[in-house]
Amino acid sequence: MPGYAELFCVSNFTFLTGASHPHELAERAAALGYHALAITDACSVAGIPRAWAALKAQPVKLITGSWFQLSDAPAGEARPSFVLLARTRKGYGQLCRLITTGRRRADKGQYQLHGHDLDSHCLDDCLCLWQPPPLAGSDAQQALACGEWLQQRFHHRFWIAASRPLEADEEQRLARIRWLADQLRCPIVATGEVHMHSRERQPLQDVLTALRHRCTLDQASPHLFPNGERYLRPLPVLQRLFPEPWLRETLRIAEACTFEPGALRYEYPADLVPANETPTDHLRRRVREGERRRYPEGTPERVRDQIRKELALIEELKYEHYFLTIHDIVRFARGQGILCQGRGSAANSVVCYCLGITEVNPAKVELLFERFISRDRNEPPDIDVDFEHERREDVIQYIYRRYTRERAALAATVIRYRPRSAIRDVGRALGFDPALVEQLLEAIDWRDQDTDWRQQILDKGLTRNPRIADRFFNLVNTLLGFPRHLSQHVGGFVISAGPLAELVPVENAAMADRTVIQWDKDDLKSLGLMKVDVLALGMLSALRKALALIGEARGTPFTLQDIPPEDPDTYAMLCRGDSIGVFQVESRAQINMLPRLRPTTWYDLVIQVAIVRPGPIQGDMVHPYLRRRHGQEPVAYPNDAIRQVLERTLGVPIFQEQAIKLAMVAAGFSAGEADQLRRAMAAWKAHGDLTPFRDKLIAGMLERGHDPEFAERLYQQICGFGGYGFPESHAASFALLVYASAWIKRHYPAMFYCALLNSQPMGFYSPSQLVQDARRHGVTVRPADVNHSQWQHTLEGPEHHLRLGLRLIRGLPAASAERIHRHRPRRGYRDTRELRRLARLSQRDMECLAGANAMPGFTRNRHQAYWELLDHEVPAALFAEAGETERPEPPCEQLPEPSEGQDILADYHSQGLSLRRHPLALLREQGCLRHCLTAEQLTTAHPGRPVQVAGLVTGRQRPSSAAGVTFVTLEDETGNVNVVVWLATARHQRKPLLTARLLHVQGVVEREGEVVHVMAGKLTDLSHLIETLPVRSRDFH
Amino acid sequence: MLWLYLHFPHMLLDHLRRHRQSSRPLAILSGQDPRVAQACPEARALGITAGMRLKTALALAPNLDVIQTQPGQDTQVLEAQARWLYRCAAHIALRPPDGLLAEVASLQRLYGGLPAVWQTVAQALETHQLTASMAIGHTPEAARLLARADQGECTADTARIRHRLTGLPLSQAGFDRTTTERLQRLGLTRLGEVLALPPAELARRLSPDALSHLQKIQGTRPDPVQPWHPPHVFRQEVDFLQDIEQSQGLLFPLQRVLSELEEELRWRQQDTDSLHLSLRHRQGDDSRIHLRTAGPEHRAEAFLNLARLHLERHPLSAPVTGLRVCVRRFLARDASRGQDLFGKHSHPEEAWHTLASRLQARLGASALQRLVPRADHRPERAWAAAEALGEPHQQRPAPVLPGHRPLWLLASPYPLGEVPAAWLSGPERIRSGWWDGQPVQRDYYVVQLADGPLAWVFRDLRNDWFIHGWFG
Repeated sequence: MPGYAELFCVSNFTFLTGASHPHELAERAAALGYHALAITDACSVAGIPRAWAALKAQPVKLITGSWFQLSDAPAGEARPSFVLLARTRKGYGQLCRLITTGRRRADKGQYQLHGHDLDSHCLDDCLCLWQPPPLAGSDAQQALACGEWLQQRFHHRFWIAASRPLEADEEQRLARIRWLADQLRCPIVATGEVHMHSRERQPLQDVLTALRHRCTLDQASPHLFPNGERYLRPLPVLQRLFPEPWLRETLRIAEACTFEPGALRYEYPADLVPANETPTDHLRRRVREGERRRYPEGTPERVRDQIRKELALIEELKYEHYFLTIHDIVRFARGQGILCQGRGSAANSVVCYCLGITEVNPAKVELLFERFISRDRNEPPDIDVDFEHERREDVIQYIYRRYTRERAALAATVIRYRPRSAIRDVGRALGFDPALVEQLLEAIDWRDQDTDWRQQILDKGLTRNPRIADRFFNLVNTLLGFPRHLSQHVGGFVISAGPLAELVPVENAAMADRTVIQWDKDDLKSLGLMKVDVLALGMLSALRKALALIGEARGTPFTLQDIPPEDPDTYAMLCRGDSIGVFQVESRAQINMLPRLRPTTWYDLVIQVAIVRPGPIQGDMVHPYLRRRHGQEPVAYPNDAIRQVLERTLGVPIFQEQAIKLAMVAAGFSAGEADQLRRAMAAWKAHGDLTPFRDKLIAGMLERGHDPEFAERLYQQICGFGGYGFPESHAASFALLVYASAWIKRHYPAMFYCALLNSQPMGFYSPSQLVQDARRHGVTVRPADVNHSQWQHTLEGPEHHLRLGLRLIRGLPAASAERIHRHRPRRGYRDTRELRRLARLSQRDMECLAGANAMPGFTRNRHQAYWELLDHEVPAALFAEAGETERPEPPCEQLPEPSEGQDILADYHSQGLSLRRHPLALLREQGCLRHCLTAEQLTTAHPGRPVQVAGLVTGRQRPSSAAGVTFVTLEDETGNVNVVVWLATARHQRKPLLTARLLHVQGVVEREGEVVHVMAGKLTDLSHLIETLPVRSRDFH
Repeated sequence: MLWLYLHFPHMLLDHLRRHRQSSRPLAILSGQDPRVAQACPEARALGITAGMRLKTALALAPNLDVIQTQPGQDTQVLEAQARWLYRCAAHIALRPPDGLLAEVASLQRLYGGLPAVWQTVAQALETHQLTASMAIGHTPEAARLLARADQGECTADTARIRHRLTGLPLSQAGFDRTTTERLQRLGLTRLGEVLALPPAELARRLSPDALSHLQKIQGTRPDPVQPWHPPHVFRQEVDFLQDIEQSQGLLFPLQRVLSELEEELRWRQQDTDSLHLSLRHRQGDDSRIHLRTAGPEHRAEAFLNLARLHLERHPLSAPVTGLRVCVRRFLARDASRGQDLFGKHSHPEEAWHTLASRLQARLGASALQRLVPRADHRPERAWAAAEALGEPHQQRPAPVLPGHRPLWLLASPYPLGEVPAAWLSGPERIRSGWWDGQPVQRDYYVVQLADGPLAWVFRDLRNDWFIHGWFG
């Protein structure tokens, strides 16, 4: 047996066709002793990096190729179908070019290549394996014409691919192939047309085929393969099926293909470095410029040492261009006045601080120093840069301009099968009733690990056949994690020196004018390629607007750097849990944590940001940390190494980096193993993946003399991070924004709320909630008015009253609002006709204004305003121009005067908020809420006391970290009430819990420090009292 | 003129619930992203309302039964109701999707007063186990609004009716959404307040449609009503909530339908001798059963006996999700029986049809069938027997999969008892059909046996050899 190389093999990156992951194919090929394996997905190389990662440590050679079917028939009637294999790096570039052409021409997810493309693309370094058309499709002459045409384009790089799927009429097919080879005088090569790594995957392959053709398996037979022979066959089977020369030919081809994905090297754009400078010198010069800005009194010696160390490392790893590229983007943003900030491990370096990529002064956080780029991990540095969300597009356009679309594209995100989609699709293929499948999906408690699926499926009557139920479960499980399609990454750019399409194929994204490459961020990482993350952050927009307003008020420009550090008043405010609108710490869980953690320094904020996450909560780190922080529990470390890792968080791991580092110092993991652990933790399959590391971790810790109890606890904590942990390097940057936004809220509340409202939608709270909070902080809020408002919310007069903008009025276009502002006479508009005429408003615009009661200066009330507008008889324009003699329309006496309730409802309806009394105040006055305490009264209620409360439901949350508990937030005229509903209570009262907009709760007060909850007992839906009050509830299930 | 309007708030639901025993909450869904279209009282008690997302509904009632509506289903059900109403009133009209209108002024004398008319209709509703709200109005539109708002009364008193009308909330006054919103923004809450506004002023401020609507309510604008007459076909459908697996289970719903047929035939004063019964399955084609009586017949009992006999002889091929009874052939009560069927037909298709019918009548319907191809890799499932008199044009012929297949495929394979003299081709490996519980895993070969014949043989997973067919 001469050995074998499989040259035609599609993975599941040929979506809905291949039934195995690239790594499964690679591992099986290695186990079978193949000489080489080509991954040849349909017009794609998306599966290559994963196969390559799996084969790195194996003696099997990976060949890069792709499978194509042309959309036309350049000769005869048969449309050519063939595999192209890349011979060298050059051939790989040619392949990528061709794929890019095919993909860019078609809609997202499709490709289209024509005969002439093979002429217009240089493919002289690619090998071609032709798949002759099926017997039924064309006669011998047709097939020959097709082969001749293709052969002319690949002269001595042309083979006929012969496969043995053991199907009907196989003898005739092989005879045809022999005859064609004879006619074309070309060699025949054995291939498997592999669609799966093992025969076991046939059912899944059948399901995928049915899904591809949008039918059930019953209807899919014409498209299904008759058997499961398209798998990676053992060598003895191959030997039985193929003549030896055909097998030998596979090796000859594999020999010729020398390209290896590992050879791809990121070629940085050289644009940023002047011709007479080396990249290192240039970076050094930039850093020195920054030093002078950051340390005007001279760089401290310690910092200078650190810079020297960092630059040496950057030079050694050749990362200069990466830092320069980010520096360039950040500099552009600064020049445009766009706020931005970097975060991530590499961002917390002195180099980045000097380059202005981040504002975190590493001198302030000594401990962040050491966690810079790791020399051991051969992994590119990771810097995310956040920009103002409303202006990120400017930055993206700059990148396209600067590097051109030929050289810049977004990384892909692989959208994969999740449980819901997998169940839906397998159910569809098996012909289950879609409504029943939906019902099954709804009934499954995703957090309940013990769900007996098989029983569920039988119970729901999806099938009566237990074997099918078992199959279903198996198929769903196998399909989980399969890629479905490529989507665009939120902001990860890949920029290259040469044409990007020769490094990796580029295809269309769903968004117009966006292109994505075929690899995602993990692929880029495993190939050592870099991306620049350009992300959008709403808070940066709000901060810039607030800074501008403060600058206006003070008469001098005000920047982030002008905010005084470590202001006690700001921390005091945060310790009260007064943080609505503040970056990152405004959620209910964060608000509850603030008075318990009581932050007093910037680093406390770093912890605050990271601690309210599922990771620390599930790993039970929160309570030990709080106890130690308040001196209620001693802090002890088993040894110095662990002390070093955990000292800054009082011996409790809170950050993701600490979990990794612990595995290294406590259990003796190597850097590489720790990195595997990190990947496992970050993997999307959150559960069960850490089990393989358990034995290793515990054994490692026992070996190092830790007691078993400590080892188990530490393991549990590390597992907690499997759910979700937050990296310190990101929290550090975020904490700066937390502080900045909190400081502005504390000292310039009017500017703070005005800026927040002008940056909507963002953050946790609706404009209504923000306006209420603003008023509680002493800000005077005035209603939207055509004679005073602009589009944006503004500040008026020396008192800085917040004047609501016309943007609040639903349905009113920005352009109309601008015209109202621009054409407003000095004395103001005097009647509806003048307003309509001067601002050129449409009927719809006018109705919006009337509905919002935005014309209080010249209309009696909103009903009359509306009546006036509805009149179709618009006076002739000529007379109207004359103006002064206009006769005011007499009001309609039959129309009712709006009641207070009607006005409140109409306010909510037109603007989502009301400056009149809160609806709850009205209801309370009318006696509808007897015995109910207000939110304010509740703060002084005794714990354990039974109470009744009522309020508008503004939020329902069922966090995954709190087993089965639902948190409901109720809003009344004095503030918010936190209600906790236990699972059992929720089960019995689903209706009021899920549907009420005005909820009445009987419960018991609980108090922990300053945090007050009501533990719910009986829930009553009072929505009928405000039936038509449209208050939005934000539901999180 | 006086109009009676019947509003069926959950017609489909009533239609479906009539045929089920379970008392679990039930909701009918519609749309791609399913939302509740109608909910039964039990479901409503749990807080499920129309327009709610399925997700929410299931969160409220995890054991909710749900059914997805078929397009056009509501029209069919509405027509079924129109059929019985037509027997009470001559001038009726359909108001899709869920209303019926009947002119009742002319009926008062016939029935002896309005209360008797009201009573008769109410009785019929009860017999048919239907929920409907009834209302009387002087215009069709007034009757419709009152019925939809469940404000109907058995009275022809103009003042009373007007009082009810003016009290209707705006949301129930039948205006389109924009108009309703506009009127609400004027601070108006009831239809009466709208009618009280100065008419000329109001007219300038309403859309032509809304104005016309107001005038139709008041009768100041004509509102012609298109009368409805029953079609000359009897067609009734039943949808089951749960699949029925035993033919016994079909008899109960069937009886109800056949009673309605009897009622219809009585009313028509006609008979029939031919019933088409279709049983719907979750997958695949319907089972079609053609029942023929010995002579003209109208009694439900007779039809039911016939159906029972048929169902006893022919077990169900698959669980049944619904059934349909259709009668197209109506015979006058005194029509002479039998005609010479061969007499005047010259069209070959028709002649074949006649022959086939005759053969079927003699041998039984299932004795005569024809072969059709099916796309399936499993040889025994690559063909199917179809009804000889099915309509071949209506079904797309299934594609024939490639492969050399023997003309004579044995009904069941039998063991190969000898070593073949020659192996002519193979193996052809077939491994398919895991999804319907009848998987096949075989290697097929074409061989020549010692005494000459060409056989199609296979080896199964246990390495046993079988003959599956003969080549000519």
